[in-house]
Amino acid sequence: MKQKTASPPPAKGVSAKRYFINHWQLYAMLLLPLAYFLLFKYVPMFGNILAFRRFRPLTGPFGVRWEGLRYFNQFLGQPDFWRAFRNTLTLSAMNLIINFPVPIIFAILLNELRSLRFKKLVQTVSYIPRFVSTVVVVSILMELLSPSSGVLNRVIQQITGNPPVFYMNEAAYFRPLYILTDMWQYSGWSAIIYLAAITGIDADMFEAARIDGASRTQMIWYITLPTIMPTIMVMFILKVGHLLSLGFEKVLLMYTPSNSVVSDIIDTYVYRMSIAATAPQYSYATAIGLFSGVIGLILVSSSNYLSRRLTGESIY
Amino acid sequence: MIHKHRIKDKSPALDALIWFVMIFVLLACVLPFLYIIAMSFSSSRAILNNRVSLWPVEFNVEAYRQVFAYPNFFKAYGNTLIYTFFGTLISLCMMVLFAYPLSKNRLKGQSLVMKLVVFSMFFGGGLVPNYLLISSLKLTGTVFAIILPFAINQFNLIILINFIRSLPEELEEAARIDGLNYFGILIRIILPLLTAALATVGLYTAVFFWNDWFYALIYLKSYQYPVMLLLRNIVNGTTMVGEAGGVGEKAFVAIAIKSAVIITSTLPIILLYPFLQKYFVKGMLVGAIKG
Repeated sequence: MKQKTASPPPAKGVSAKRYFINHWQLYAMLLLPLAYFLLFKYVPMFGNILAFRRFRPLTGPFGVRWEGLRYFNQFLGQPDFWRAFRNTLTLSAMNLIINFPVPIIFAILLNELRSLRFKKLVQTVSYIPRFVSTVVVVSILMELLSPSSGVLNRVIQQITGNPPVFYMNEAAYFRPLYILTDMWQYSGWSAIIYLAAITGIDADMFEAARIDGASRTQMIWYITLPTIMPTIMVMFILKVGHLLSLGFEKVLLMYTPSNSVVSDIIDTYVYRMSIAATAPQYSYATAIGLFSGVIGLILVSSSNYLSRRLTGESIY
Repeated sequence: MIHKHRIKDKSPALDALIWFVMIFVLLACVLPFLYIIAMSFSSSRAILNNRVSLWPVEFNVEAYRQVFAYPNFFKAYGNTLIYTFFGTLISLCMMVLFAYPLSKNRLKGQSLVMKLVVFSMFFGGGLVPNYLLISSLKLTGTVFAIILPFAINQFNLIILINFIRSLPEELEEAARIDGLNYFGILIRIILPLLTAALATVGLYTAVFFWNDWFYALIYLKSYQYPVMLLLRNIVNGTTMVGEAGGVGEKAFVAIAIKSAVIITSTLPIILLYPFLQKYFVKGMLVGAIKG
């Protein structure tokens, strides 16, 4: 028994009972975290069943009576829901299109920096925003943009003489501000993965290209980019899969009644209809949550499938 | 121009562009914080007259004095410290216990559990099922509501599993020959080698707990609020969740105070950051290898 290899060997020829006796300790370790994991991840997953059942307070999270597709029909006929749905897709797609390439470009440019110390400095500083709370990000934004004391309004007023604008309250500025703060918070951090991919490129390729007289721009275009394409692809799949899950907390913090035309997304709508509501409609909100969760799952698996077919890269 | 003088590998236009971009990035990351620091140390008169930009005007610590005199601030700060400490501790224990057996890909049932873990990264209960689970477990209004559900993060778990898998297998074999059982191996062999990984994952987790405000908002009572939620309540009096409280709305004093709270609540992260930075990055990469 003692000369067993570190990893449990394949079970060939060993009875199930014997196998368990040999490895019971591993299963014992697994017990608590697994139970925990199932409780907090899988019970809520099955809690989605509430989308088809009527909720009654104090009777648990699974509802009391089957209602079929009633709650789905309800929200599908609800203009507010469709507004939230459109807002989610629009904001998410805009965010993806604008913010997806930024870390890639940033990583490529960083890699071209010749001063290693300066490179290190830029990297270190650019990761900081990732670790700052959304509350702090939005608070800073509010201060910068404040109509009474914010520096932006002050500068604009001095240059153009225009009256101050309450940016945080204007629907037209919500999306640009959301996208810009996302860029500020995550571009540096997301670049890490691309940087690592670039570092992994065989130096001989660059050397060969240099001997052939390629310029640096050409090397970026013909060597760096194609080589990190698989990484780009995988990151893109992940992003597309999360198209329906925006930074809910940030949206909630930036939400005001006057910008709700564009800032009410699925998540905030669900939140307003359930937890934040005076008369919570839990089943209704769960149905919406399930609807967007299933779409998300479909998006992830289909973009993963597509990527595997087209590039041979996939995440699972 | 560039191809005319063929000094191989040198393109000044590209270099200029790169430096321009990098300096812009540096400024963009640093200036907002400098602005808030300047605001927090400036007199309300200077703020009122729009004289503050990146340097404190009429330097004073009045805003900080007021923040520190506000009893709820220390309460909230203490709450945050407690949640962060215990949240991270529980999370690390759970994840080590989970990651070690899962790192053995020949263990029967391992692949099933891994599939469950990965699937739950892409699909789960939404806001409401989670909320109702917490309330029916009677956790609402207790600290556990914001600590327990987040103890196992799939991404961090995968980081840990990858770290353990990267350890040389001979170590464990030798330990088994010496008569150590799996618990012994985990505690005496694996754990000491895992410190870098635990630092990484622990930091991610700690940052998560430090920055959380939403779960505190929906699960906790006001005396249990962490500092981020206090900040949010001070900063906004206008959002849809309108139980904004806190410091009075005498606008220009309030700005200095808000700034002071922003700074004090973010300070631990900013101060620790330079020292911990290498762990953050390492973890991100290990997690990304196979995620």
